[in-house]
Amino acid sequence: MPVEDVPVPKDPADSLAAVVALRLLADRLEDAAVEQAMRAGWSWPDVAEALGVTRQAVHKKHVKRLIAAGVALRRRQ
Amino acid sequence: MSAIDHYINAIIEQGAAEAQEDGSAAIEAHHLLLAIAAGEGTAAHRVLTAAGLGRQAIRDALDREFEHSLSAVGVSVASFDLPKPALALESPKLGASARLAIERGFAAATGKKDLRPAHLLLGVLDTEIGTVPRALALAGLDRVDLMARARETLAGNSW
Repeated sequence: MPVEDVPVPKDPADSLAAVVALRLLADRLEDAAVEQAMRAGWSWPDVAEALGVTRQAVHKKHVKRLIAAGVALRRRQ
Repeated sequence: MSAIDHYINAIIEQGAAEAQEDGSAAIEAHHLLLAIAAGEGTAAHRVLTAAGLGRQAIRDALDREFEHSLSAVGVSVASFDLPKPALALESPKLGASARLAIERGFAAATGKKDLRPAHLLLGVLDTEIGTVPRALALAGLDRVDLMARARETLAGNSW
């Protein structure tokens, strides 16, 4: 939606709580999206580039969880 | 270690398990509340259950708070078909809100010897800001009344 249509809560407590909830939602989305990409055969550098972070950062954050989830990972390039 | 040390360790350990279940890297105050609700045999636990706040009821209230907070900026969590978060493998660390809650719990007691589980519950409840008071308000619960009930048990010297 256009940015001017995004509602801004009147109470600062609601605005701040929305930030907290959006961060949590973004974290969950990232976990799911990285897992989806790796299952589809994406490489670490491609996932990192898509997220706009370094491949070291994305690898460090997700590799253990993905291995534990049984995802077959491509070797780091 | 004293009984209260064991209790605090157990609450932090259970809080870490609750945080892991959320896929959260940090133990927050609401994870401590879930842990207090999960640990039987304390006045703090009895205060929560008497108000209908079992562990699952608190989880439901927290889910509602999450959805409510997102809806305030036009985001519907129902529009995301998100899988259940994978368990975080790193052990979650104490987050800022949990540290504050523990500090407030210690401050509510007159000294380490006086410190009991209900003080910890008071520490979690003693704020108008953040996820815990918002979730309680949405569930129609009176936070101040819960605190009064916790203080009553402390006056009665119960554990």
